[in-house]
Amino acid sequence: MVYSSELIKGTLKTILLKLLADNKKMYGYEITQRVREVSGDRIQITEGALYPTLHAMEADGLVTTEVEYIGKRMRKYYSLSPAGKAATRERVKELSAFMQTMALLLDIQPKTA
Amino acid sequence: MFPINDQHIDFVLRDLDANGIKTPDLQQNLLDHICILAERDLAEGDDFYVYYRSAILSFYREELAEIETETRFLLRHRRPWLLLSRSWFLCGLFVVLVGPFIAFALLWLLRMGRLPLEVWGGTLIFMQFPFLVWLVIALTPDRFDPLLPKGAKVLLGWRPIISIL
Repeated sequence: MVYSSELIKGTLKTILLKLLADNKKMYGYEITQRVREVSGDRIQITEGALYPTLHAMEADGLVTTEVEYIGKRMRKYYSLSPAGKAATRERVKELSAFMQTMALLLDIQPKTA
Repeated sequence: MFPINDQHIDFVLRDLDANGIKTPDLQQNLLDHICILAERDLAEGDDFYVYYRSAILSFYREELAEIETETRFLLRHRRPWLLLSRSWFLCGLFVVLVGPFIAFALLWLLRMGRLPLEVWGGTLIFMQFPFLVWLVIALTPDRFDPLLPKGAKVLLGWRPIISIL
């Protein structure tokens, strides 16, 4: 099952922050592939959602960038800034609390073996 | 791996620009993404241009320009970055309101001859903090927590001066 874009939209920034926290520096395509791999293809980040979010995060000072030239084209690597590291902790904590609240609200019982 | 040449790159950049992707960084990101897909999916001798026309369709819902629109929207409506968190603000507020009274008490004790000079020196430094808080808030209004009332800034600025007077 692939999760809907509406569900992913609200959590995209948190996903990107956590991914960058775990992987030092990444470029766009690498991010989409890593998310697919970790989520077992259930989360598919589109280019149309990924790049605007990365640009906004860069403008917010959450990520820093470095550029590598491959012939005539440019590859942009993203890594977390100190502010981004602090934001990651906050966002993950907030999302975790939100998920617990949603579980209560929707009366979802955790699966037991 | 399919070899991407300069003609391919120029073609993609022209097409992105013609379809509404105007931000240079965004163009470069999308270009690199498309090139990686082509290198992954095409074999030598395949038609890059045919592949590009089909691959680019997966990047958007209705038109390519929506990526540019979304980028500009997020840049315009991004959350203001806070220089002072709420807890630091409350600490600052406490220091501003209580600091001058403590300083006054210490000064009084010093006059009575019961405080060493080091404590007096420390108090002088401590007294600067309220003014630093006021300076930071006054000089960076766009980075101040928007949930706090604007009047708080005025209170913060004048309270220690009134207390000292």
